[in-house]
Amino acid sequence: MESRRYVIVGGSAAGMAAAVAIRDHDPHGSVRVLSDEADAPYFRPLIPFVVSRKKSVADMFLRGRGPYRAQGIELSLGVRAERIDSPARRLVTDHGETIPYDRLLIATGSRPNIPAGISGLEHQGVFALRTLEDARQAARRAEETTRAVMLGGGLLNLKAAFALLERGIEVTLVVYSAEVLSQLMEPADALLIRRALDQAGLRILTGCSAGHILGGDRGVSGVVLDDGRELPCQMVCIGKGVRPNTEWLDAGAIKVDRGVVVDKHTHASIPDVYAAGDVAVTYDPITGAPIITGLWTNAVEMGRCAGANMAGYPSVYGGTFGVLNATQVARMPFVSMGIVHTAGTEYETWCRGSADAYRKLVFTPDGDRLVGALFVGDITNAGLYRLVIRERMQVGGMKRQLVDHRLHYGHLLCARDRG
Amino acid sequence: MNQPKEIFVRIDRCMGCHSCEVACAVAHSAGQSLYAALSETPTPKPRLYVEWVAPDTAVPIVCRHCEDAPCMHACIAGAISRTPGGVVMTDKDKCIGCWTCVMVCPYGVIGRHLEEHKAYRCDRCPDREVPACVDACPVKSLVYQTATAFSRGKRRTASHELQSGQKG
Ligand SMILES: Cc1cc2nc3c(=O)[nH]c(=O)nc-3n(C[C@H](O)[C@H](O)[C@H](O)COP(=O)(O)OP(=O)(O)OC[C@H]3O[C@@H](n4cnc5c(N)ncnc54)[C@H](O)[C@@H]3O)c2cc1C
Repeated sequence: MESRRYVIVGGSAAGMAAAVAIRDHDPHGSVRVLSDEADAPYFRPLIPFVVSRKKSVADMFLRGRGPYRAQGIELSLGVRAERIDSPARRLVTDHGETIPYDRLLIATGSRPNIPAGISGLEHQGVFALRTLEDARQAARRAEETTRAVMLGGGLLNLKAAFALLERGIEVTLVVYSAEVLSQLMEPADALLIRRALDQAGLRILTGCSAGHILGGDRGVSGVVLDDGRELPCQMVCIGKGVRPNTEWLDAGAIKVDRGVVVDKHTHASIPDVYAAGDVAVTYDPITGAPIITGLWTNAVEMGRCAGANMAGYPSVYGGTFGVLNATQVARMPFVSMGIVHTAGTEYETWCRGSADAYRKLVFTPDGDRLVGALFVGDITNAGLYRLVIRERMQVGGMKRQLVDHRLHYGHLLCARDRG
Repeated sequence: MNQPKEIFVRIDRCMGCHSCEVACAVAHSAGQSLYAALSETPTPKPRLYVEWVAPDTAVPIVCRHCEDAPCMHACIAGAISRTPGGVVMTDKDKCIGCWTCVMVCPYGVIGRHLEEHKAYRCDRCPDREVPACVDACPVKSLVYQTATAFSRGKRRTASHELQSGQKG
């Protein structure tokens, strides 16, 4: 048998996880990864540490770290894929190269969503933190910044905000929603985190948005809010979600519905082409609804699944929760997963709060299955709750332990032995 | 290839004495003795856990160093990798304390060092012949064997139980 030619577009979580998985299954084929970034693959979620200067860029590269140790993966940096010539099974690049493939993976990820309504985006000092290069530039701009304004109250912007706070910059977060982290929790669930953010010195303005960005020769000088208020600043960070990088694909030839549509084997709608990560449409295992996530964890899992399939080892992708986040901001750890927005729904919810911890457990309306969990302050054994949600377990006798946040592996083990 | 030894649990034997937890905490302390460990700050922590399931079952829970380790693949900082000996290891210097590993571990065996803001886990005691927990277990509920040897032993016990069942 001729050795297979695997080509991967995008050298980040999904692309590199796939490359490693292919190597595990097929030692003979050739694996080539293209990336339009100039930097070698890196752990994207670490880039706020470039801004805060708490880590050096050299500590962020993927290869040789974690599970990314496979040999024989050819990387082509600074190369952009422009077109898939599916009938000829070739990929065309911006360098004019045509690359034949036997299996192709689309792992082009996503880019920051820049809202249309804001003017003045062209000024120097306006950022949307996505790439290592963005982070380098932001780190430099931070040197001449005393005040920064962050547009958007999501996790990414909070991380960026803390990176800037650590640099001694005064940071204001402008949030359109009623509270920060609105994708990950409801306002009432965010009280502890909000208090911690306030105490950490972050200034937060909710229920408003930016109209335009002011600036001149020296770049950004301020932001004017929709209510007329003006916030002087030398730096603006936009954190308003992400959009899949699909525009290079011919939507007439390959099925795109916001992201690249794939089947349960991560196979796209044209032969021998797969997709994984932020660029792909996946589905929520609880509701079955199609979703696009912006999660490293999901990109890796999906990429590994795609890699196995490409190498001829059929593997089914189990989907992911749209919400699956763990982090710690302002010394407050939290985990949010599954269905956590319950206002106006029939879900059975249990909320319990104390001075330093809060939790919310969400069950189906009949109370039989756990569908979501939010832990703030104390995230003990969060992984077990994820398992209970994901496997759609009948909670039965475990309900008390679940609600009281006392569940441990012994309960699952004994429940299985009895059941 | 030499099959690496692993820590296996025989739940039916565990009496819930917590000796393994103590031995583990001491083995991962600076002073290496119970007496010294008690006065260390932060308090040395065990990396395995003995939990109770009502009415009367004690369950030692220890990191499996899973073959497809979800923690390793989920880690957003590249801090978790597998050693040639099969041990899934967290590199403290690389860990950023984002707790993604805690969120995906289906056994709940990844601990959080709040003072250091780092995750920690079983390292199978790299400097010891036999892991401290296994050494300390008075009823041999914890065993340190290769997977093959362990399942061979289990089969033997099962056939033994079957025979005595037939007799009785
Ligand atoms: C600051 C920050 C913090 C984050 N924190 C977390 C977190 O804590 N937890 C979490 O789960 N997720 C987090 N994420 C999200 C996570 O980084 C992404 O979900 C993940 O990187 C997606 O991986 P991917 O491989 O699908 O795509 P991407 O990482 O977006 O990579 C796609 C790559 O393809 C390249 N590319 C695009 N088009 C082309 C083309 N035509 N030709 C060649 N190359 C192309 C892109 O330049 C890019 O390098 C964070 C993201 C950021 C920015």
